[in-house]
Amino acid sequence: MALASLTDVVKRYDSKLTVDHVNLSINEGEIFGLLGPNGAGKSTTISMLCGLLKMDGGSIVIDGISVAKQPLEAKKRIGLVPQDLALYEDLTTWENASFFGKLYGLRGELLKERVKEALEFTGLADRAKDKPSTFSGGMKRRLNIACAIMHRPKLIIMDEPTVGIDPQSRNHILESVKALNKLGSTVIYTSHYMEEVEAICDRVAIMDKGHIIACGTEKELRERVAHEEKIIIKAGSITPDLILELKQHPRVTRVEAEGETLELYLPSSQSELQDILFIFAKHGGVIQMLQIEQPDLETLFLSLTGRTLRD
Amino acid sequence: MANIWTIAAYELRRLLRSRSMLINLFLLPILLIFLIGSALSGVMGGGKDQTIDPFRVGIVDAAANPSERSQLIGSFLKSPEIAEIITPETADSREAAVNGVRSGEYSYAVIVPAGFDKDIMSGKEARLEYILGKNRTDNMVAGTVFDNFLSSINYRQAAAMTLGPQAIPAMTESGQSNPAVVLGKLNEGAPAYTASQYYAAAMLLMFLLLCGQMVITSLYSEKDNHTLFRIGSMPVKGGELFMGKMLGIGIVSVLQCASIILATHFLFGVYWGNRPGLLALVCLLMILASLTLSVIIAMFARTAASARSISTGLTVVMTFISGGMAPLPDSWVNTGGAFSINHWGMRGILRMMLESPWTQISGSITMLSLICLVLLGLAFFSYRKVGYHV
Repeated sequence: MALASLTDVVKRYDSKLTVDHVNLSINEGEIFGLLGPNGAGKSTTISMLCGLLKMDGGSIVIDGISVAKQPLEAKKRIGLVPQDLALYEDLTTWENASFFGKLYGLRGELLKERVKEALEFTGLADRAKDKPSTFSGGMKRRLNIACAIMHRPKLIIMDEPTVGIDPQSRNHILESVKALNKLGSTVIYTSHYMEEVEAICDRVAIMDKGHIIACGTEKELRERVAHEEKIIIKAGSITPDLILELKQHPRVTRVEAEGETLELYLPSSQSELQDILFIFAKHGGVIQMLQIEQPDLETLFLSLTGRTLRD
Repeated sequence: MANIWTIAAYELRRLLRSRSMLINLFLLPILLIFLIGSALSGVMGGGKDQTIDPFRVGIVDAAANPSERSQLIGSFLKSPEIAEIITPETADSREAAVNGVRSGEYSYAVIVPAGFDKDIMSGKEARLEYILGKNRTDNMVAGTVFDNFLSSINYRQAAAMTLGPQAIPAMTESGQSNPAVVLGKLNEGAPAYTASQYYAAAMLLMFLLLCGQMVITSLYSEKDNHTLFRIGSMPVKGGELFMGKMLGIGIVSVLQCASIILATHFLFGVYWGNRPGLLALVCLLMILASLTLSVIIAMFARTAASARSISTGLTVVMTFISGGMAPLPDSWVNTGGAFSINHWGMRGILRMMLESPWTQISGSITMLSLICLVLLGLAFFSYRKVGYHV
């Protein structure tokens, strides 16, 4: 059953289409990843989903409530973790959480209980009296999350919550997302880090230039590029003739050379590996390292757009 | 409504937690009032009554014979109301009078020209020569006394020449009934206040206008901190956020206002008049004007820095043209100053300080109310037109 659905959603800035007839359906209880490079339209889509931006066309329904017609009702069901830290540096951790909790309608003992719960969940309970100005980037990110989950929203939207933080905090946040999902929240997770999306999401939509260019489970998406395996070879002497002959190989679809490293794309590495090694030997190339990579979402994005996610 | 109070309470908490804000809000105004009031106390007259002690005036009559000395001057100096102030002493010559004034023997000296009475009877203008002493007050009193005497003589002379000699007795009678000097209470009914009162009112109004800076800072910081983005995704109406912020800043402004009035009253003895209700009303109207003006600026300025510059510039200009930085000529204040918000607040408060009747205060309050109404309308229109969003 869909908790949130976007139908033909359009957003224009001047005459430019930033979000171009996007259709998405997010099922209750799933972690849904929205993957795309910077400027793909992810944040604009999220802003419309949260009622922060008006749509120029289409409709968004959350838990059966139209965001355009009943924005306040729809917003009660959402917890947004913004991309940028949205905290008051001059209020303590407890006060920050308490303020946002009150705006979600929590009062009295229930508010105290939920603030405590959110801070414990994000590992900040022992820093409740400290101000965010004394926190590390990762701790601020965790507080950013705590402020969005106190009202136990049905839908948690996390807009690139791991930007610019250390690996430890990043892992903590990813674990938190999984834990929130287990507690019953549906999560929309946007990122341009493919590994994060692959690690936690049940389904993924890939967005580029305002369009959804692919959507499905990780397995479904990988199957679309199953024919694109990558062989990475580090060799001592890579000559232009070697590169030319590899490019002329009928099964190799693309060759990328950078310094002493070659990346070869081909449908199946197993059947062609012998040929490739033979070409290397013929041109006197001394292989120092060879690695075969299965296709991933990055490969899919590359295959669909001709660009990498971080281009 | 609950959201408005929540936002106001946290706004208040954040504002009152900032040390620099507390200094600017509560300490700086009082310090400024004290410094400017003390430094410029000489610019305005003090409100205290002054007693005039009798002082000696050297009288030199240039007539060659004592029999030819002026009878008019003699009888004038013997009149009881003059005798209370001036003790005449005859000096032999001009030099003796000058020396007497220099040595402090006389506080003032008057040279009566030879044939003074004769000249007057023949229709010539009455003139005396004054030698001023060291004491400014004595000089002023003696100058006033003898100028009045000459005016009176010239007036009677003119009447006699026009109406005939029979007019003189009548003139003399009426002259006696109007003494040349009347001792009264200084500032009674006149627009006079101390420098401390004047600058306390001016600084209070200037700082209330500067409250708008808090509005600008708060509105822009919400954008810069991205908290506006988060609040926008919450079940909070845009107007509630706006109203909550205004309410919080309004409460801080009221606290600031009360602290300035109470501190100046108890520390510097500034008398704010006997109408606390009307004083509170003027202050509230000024706060409303300041908040709404800042909202209009914040709606249209591109950055917080430009909004703050415009707001500060307007506050300084309005304070200056309303005479809040230095007393300006009435003609300036009543023309250019009338276009400032401070002018009407200032007029109202100064009238209250002088315990003027309601009829003299009501005009200022009406104008201030009208200004607030117009600004409120413009702020509402600006908000509807531009909005406050990410």
